[in-house]
Amino acid sequence: MDAVLENLPYLLGGFLTNLQLAAFALAGGIFLGTLVGLGRISKRPWVYYPVTLYVNFLRNIPLILVIFWFFFVMPILIGKTLDPFVSAAVSFVVFEATYFGEIFRAGFQSISKDLVSAAYSTGLTYRQTAAYILVPIAVRRMLPSLITQSIITFQDTSLAYVIGLQEMVRRTTIVDGLEVRSVQLYTFVAILFFVICFVGSRISLHYEEKSRKAKVL
Amino acid sequence: MIEIKNVSKWFGEFQVLADVNEVVQRGQKVVICGPSGSGKSTLLRCINGLEPYQKGEIVVDGVSLSDPKTNLYKLREKLGMVFQRFELYPHMTVLRNITLAPMKVRKKSRPEAEKKAMELLERVGIPDKAGAYPANLSGGQQQRVAIARALAMEPACMMFDEPTSALDPEMIQEVLEVMIGLAKEGMTMLVVTHEMGFAREVADEIIFMDAGRIVERGRGDDFFKNPKSQRTKDFLGQILK
Repeated sequence: MDAVLENLPYLLGGFLTNLQLAAFALAGGIFLGTLVGLGRISKRPWVYYPVTLYVNFLRNIPLILVIFWFFFVMPILIGKTLDPFVSAAVSFVVFEATYFGEIFRAGFQSISKDLVSAAYSTGLTYRQTAAYILVPIAVRRMLPSLITQSIITFQDTSLAYVIGLQEMVRRTTIVDGLEVRSVQLYTFVAILFFVICFVGSRISLHYEEKSRKAKVL
Repeated sequence: MIEIKNVSKWFGEFQVLADVNEVVQRGQKVVICGPSGSGKSTLLRCINGLEPYQKGEIVVDGVSLSDPKTNLYKLREKLGMVFQRFELYPHMTVLRNITLAPMKVRKKSRPEAEKKAMELLERVGIPDKAGAYPANLSGGQQQRVAIARALAMEPACMMFDEPTSALDPEMIQEVLEVMIGLAKEGMTMLVVTHEMGFAREVADEIIFMDAGRIVERGRGDDFFKNPKSQRTKDFLGQILK
């Protein structure tokens, strides 16, 4: 355990970078994802087709390629080298938004047209129907998927080590290079990721159960 | 109360309504029947402003739906609607389902809205289900809540879109009884249904629709005994078998 304890502040500093990157990725990804979701149910072809192309393209290439691509291609396009954190954050937002967008699309599409008609037929306006019926039902149905995708995003932040970002996995390889304590070091990293993600998946399960009891799923 | 003048509607190339004319007087009960795809449900949705139509005019209580200045939300308050698959709000209790519109649209206070909701639940026979969620009710109970929800806005006319066709046979009667009760109280009703017993008992007029047209109209027994068109005869033959 010495190798872990002696380098704990350094390793946890890397973990903080994972958390920060995940925070940016989720905030940006969910925001952009909402717009993507709306674009995917849009009846306007000039919105629907470009958004659909973007979603289908990115969902069919590995994240690690998107990270590389932004890191190596952006400097050519904008003429200067990006900071690895900024580059990774942009890649994550652009990539995760396609996944969140599909979750939002499914959430809205799962609500039947007649349920909306029923709300309208009692005199509720579009805004009231969205506020009291559409959004509450969609969010309840989406919550487990949103949390699951958030956990995946968090795990994926470690991929940013490929462009030299000083996150925890990158720092662990550095410490391991000096101390040669691979088993302890990587076990520690694995446990840390496990604890965070396990707690997250339990929360997701809790909401799923709650929705199931209320039978909105 | 409701005037439908030469209304036609197309879904792309397909004509769903063709020159439909009909007048529903206050207090009148009109039953619409016909094969699926004949435009019955679409007609109800047009009257409620849930679907546009391309030709003709619909006037509800003196207000034309063709007028772009018409506030559809205001108009819908006068028309209650009950759907085939109940369409209760799954995330709200029965009580909340009924009080939502009176509180948000009519700005009633919660105690006032709940008092009215409980009266309505008494009327449809399930006051004990006020705190339950829709998923924990039987189909018949859900449809009765849906009727109570529509009545809570004190509509001048109630429209029913095949209210019993998604129900198990043993639950049809409890819903029909509520509807017959409403009819006896003098409610104006427009009912799409294949329940011919109900039609015989309450309808002032029965309309038979096919391929977007009103093929035949008649009163009670006369409609069943002496259908004029062959199409109506075939349809009644199948449904009364």
